[in-house]
Amino acid sequence: MTDLKHAPQSAEVEPLFQEPQPSSEARRRRSMRWHRVRGVAKHVGLVLAAFVMLYPLLWMVASSIKPDALIFREPWLIPSEVSLENYTQGWNALLHPFSHYLANSFLVVLGAVLGNLVSCTLAAYAFARLKFRLRNLWFAIMLMSIMLPIHVIIVPQYILFSELGWINTFAPLIVPKLLATDAFFVFLLVQFFRGVPRELDEAATIDGANHLRIFFQVMLPLATPALATTAIFTFIWTWNDFFSQLIFLTKPDMYTVPIALRSFLDSTGQSSWGAMFAMSIVSLIPLFLVFLFGQRYLVRGIATTGLK
Amino acid sequence: MTSRTPWKRMAALLAASTLALTACGQADNLAEDEETTAPVQTAQETETDQPPATEGDGGGEPGEATIRFAWWGSDSRHQMNQQLIDAFEAEHPNITVVPDYTDWGGYWDKLATQTAAGDTPDVMMQEERYLREYADRGILANLNDFDVDTSKIDPSILGSGEFSDGLWGIATGVNVRVMMADPEVFAAAGVEMPDDKTWTWDDYNEIMSQISANTEDGVYGAQDFGIPESVELTVWARQHGQDLWDPSGEIGFDPETMAARWQVTLDLIEAGGAPEVSQGLEINAAGPEQSLVATGRGAISPFWSNQLEAITSAAGHELQLLRYPGESQFERQGLFLKPAMALSMSASSEYPEEAALFLDWMLNSPEAGEIILSDRGLPANLDVRAHIMDQLGEADQQAAQFVEDVSADILDSANTPPRGAGEVNSLLQRINEEVLFGQITPQEGAERFIEEASAITGD
Amino acid sequence: MSVLSELGSLRKSKSLDRGPSQRHDGKWALFFLAPWFVGLVLIVAGPLLASLYLSLTDYDLLSNANFIGLENYVEMFGDRRLRKSLVVTFTYVIVSVPLQLMAALGLALLLDRGLRGLAIYRSAFYLPSLLGSSVAIAILWRQIFGADGLVNQLLAVIGIDGPGWISHPDYALGTLMVLNVWTFGSPMVIFLAGLRQIPTMYYEAASLDGASKLQQFFTITLPLLSPIIFFNLVLQVINAFQTFTQSYIVSNGTGGPVDSTLFYTLYLYQEGFGNLNMGYASAMAWLLLVIIAGMTAANFLLSKYWVFYND
Repeated sequence: MTDLKHAPQSAEVEPLFQEPQPSSEARRRRSMRWHRVRGVAKHVGLVLAAFVMLYPLLWMVASSIKPDALIFREPWLIPSEVSLENYTQGWNALLHPFSHYLANSFLVVLGAVLGNLVSCTLAAYAFARLKFRLRNLWFAIMLMSIMLPIHVIIVPQYILFSELGWINTFAPLIVPKLLATDAFFVFLLVQFFRGVPRELDEAATIDGANHLRIFFQVMLPLATPALATTAIFTFIWTWNDFFSQLIFLTKPDMYTVPIALRSFLDSTGQSSWGAMFAMSIVSLIPLFLVFLFGQRYLVRGIATTGLK
Repeated sequence: MTSRTPWKRMAALLAASTLALTACGQADNLAEDEETTAPVQTAQETETDQPPATEGDGGGEPGEATIRFAWWGSDSRHQMNQQLIDAFEAEHPNITVVPDYTDWGGYWDKLATQTAAGDTPDVMMQEERYLREYADRGILANLNDFDVDTSKIDPSILGSGEFSDGLWGIATGVNVRVMMADPEVFAAAGVEMPDDKTWTWDDYNEIMSQISANTEDGVYGAQDFGIPESVELTVWARQHGQDLWDPSGEIGFDPETMAARWQVTLDLIEAGGAPEVSQGLEINAAGPEQSLVATGRGAISPFWSNQLEAITSAAGHELQLLRYPGESQFERQGLFLKPAMALSMSASSEYPEEAALFLDWMLNSPEAGEIILSDRGLPANLDVRAHIMDQLGEADQQAAQFVEDVSADILDSANTPPRGAGEVNSLLQRINEEVLFGQITPQEGAERFIEEASAITGD
Repeated sequence: MSVLSELGSLRKSKSLDRGPSQRHDGKWALFFLAPWFVGLVLIVAGPLLASLYLSLTDYDLLSNANFIGLENYVEMFGDRRLRKSLVVTFTYVIVSVPLQLMAALGLALLLDRGLRGLAIYRSAFYLPSLLGSSVAIAILWRQIFGADGLVNQLLAVIGIDGPGWISHPDYALGTLMVLNVWTFGSPMVIFLAGLRQIPTMYYEAASLDGASKLQQFFTITLPLLSPIIFFNLVLQVINAFQTFTQSYIVSNGTGGPVDSTLFYTLYLYQEGFGNLNMGYASAMAWLLLVIIAGMTAANFLLSKYWVFYND
């Protein structure tokens, strides 16, 4: 089994593949010079494109360190006055320090990630490997569940959760994940499991393993990268999800980051733009770190879902 | 308790779906013991799950009560309301007030969803536009049935919550629609501030165009986007001896009047006195802090009097408040006191007495007034208003003074909008855009608005 | 075999039913699917069916629903705004999905291999996708596409006086499409992964045969990547039909200017929550479901003709 664990991963380990090799030395030298020029051009282009992509973010950073009154009066990138007041003020502006909302969000995200990891893998294994009647129909039903807009589902859901006494707890945000309602990830994992060579579980079956053992000892170890993908996407999407958190959480003690951020704004009165920008930056940091450290798994993970 | 019925329907549906699925499952050789029991159990559970018995009404003694108070706003209001709650709880240790707040847009989605499930907050902020929707469907409590003192409330304001034989909400504040003017832009253009008691809409056009012409590119006279909100039409129609709604809740103006208001804006834009349409739309949508006056790009922006402080602090210097043009031009004066941010109570509250006590305290106690100051506009309670006047900040005092001055000249209040006013407002917004972008003429726009608005409010 | 060949092979029941043994795994399926089934019955099916029932009522959220039969569905036929929202949504799907996929693919090709600082570039290009649903985003977009925004400042340098890109009915939808392209992070990452799977030896062999880069792209990259293109296409089409947030934020929820960005789900939301016509909104939701399901099925059927599977 240990071999199995390592084989597919090492096959994927990273390397930057080399450019196609030209045949003769002379061509090679010429093409190297050409490559260098092109490389520089590529970088210049990419840096420019990255600037356009990142301009809004840069603007937000700039605004978060401007005094509130200057944000719209001097909307350019370089601030004439710099102050970190928005950060200190924004951190403490709401009924709880901002860390409280960050902690709540982390709890929800943690529950959602664990929930998706456990339940979606189980469901995916069944769809990928087990034989039962009307499997395609069940699969289609699963896909259908992501096709209805949330706005018509939310009211019946609220009534349901309200009767269960779950309103103003994290349960409506976490329990559905424990019950594999996130069809996107079931689908993703199905694709992965079906990419795992059947010879492996057939071999395990011959050794007397049942499906539970195959699941734990063959699938999951091979699925680590796909699990990482699921975890990272769940993290990012749950962290940003506003609507369901708004509806299901009613006490400020339970509010999460997206709700807290909106609490800075009032379209009918006075808004605290600077504080909102500052706390937006703060709340982006965990996301950015997750993506930065997770991206090698992300890229590897998805590649592996299609591995032969 | 109308609110229980939607659930029964849900439970029935759930049970039905459970049956359907388990039936499928059995046919499919899928359903074994674990499968069938779990969902059915839930269905039973939900049928029998009744709300917990109330604890607070034991024998007239002041028992423990927990009430929920919901509002919209930004961080400054959240902090203020928390202070209010703390102060109230200190006076009434047996009552716990749970806050429930969010931004304006989210507030209505959340309130509707909660109401659908029978979880309406005990005390909530309401707005003129939605008050009737909730009151007419039996969601709100008739405040006349409770011990809420309204003797000190400005009577013209109180009327906004009185209809259908009851008092369904009490406005906590008063605002007036004003033109906020930046004296620095007037000075830079070398144009004198108009006399706001006598200036006409023609003066308005002329002065604004002149300011645009005399200042650098990108600085304009007025932020004028036609009739993006009903208030612009209300003021205009009242100046013409009409009103947006008549007392029976039907359209109270004729299409020619409405078309003429649009023509004012179209002429102004053509003369260069206001930003061209798409830019105007952008500025109009961006809110107070990004308005022309707040960013030093224009001489005049129309707002509510309680927004002066936000705009002054964004602009960085003192602004001046002007009455609307045309107050002495046509039949009569158009300005009116706008009731703001009504407080309402849920009809299904478990602790109605306590909720009423809290509502009354917020409305009438000087202590609450000192905390709220001008957050909801000028306090509707006249005693409280007098009490806090000298505690207001500079800009708020300026606004309060203006409201006092204008009040003397205000003839009557505007008629209460009928049910469906929220939808009418978005209809207005849409037709306003079509007219300004030149897709239909002002006359066509006015006719269509009247036709569709009547259809919305008629049913 | 790739992600998508899997997807494609769902059609072939043979490959689906080839198990470790030929017996039925009913009991095991029950075990593995138990959480999903409970979720389906408790959390998914109830609300789903409730919305189907509500689509036959005049439900207004605040009071009890009355059964009115197919009235809502009939009303949809004469609804001018509904028609407008369908036009807007279809235009958006047809134009912006391919555009976004091309942008994502192009950048994935650029960022694939042989470049320093790949991790940083990738993160930079993914960042906008993280920002996508932030509260601040409307203001950020205004800084770029507003009448005084970055785009017009750049245009002014070359002497063009640009319009307000998000506030003019002729340009607003187009601008939203550009904004959608701007958040191509997720499909880009998936394309990157797909490119990684193509064995380099194919390219080596092809260049030995003297094939140009362009020829290599069309004969090797595209066919081998087609399953992934298909996967992204299916998901992006589903997403695009449900586009809500962008227009909601940029237009303050109005779908303006002049309904030019009135996406289907935005209109549905306006009807449901703004105008308290939840019954009608539910009927609209079921029409959308039928449309999306139809498009997805069509995608699967058409994939036969252009998606190349390796198995």
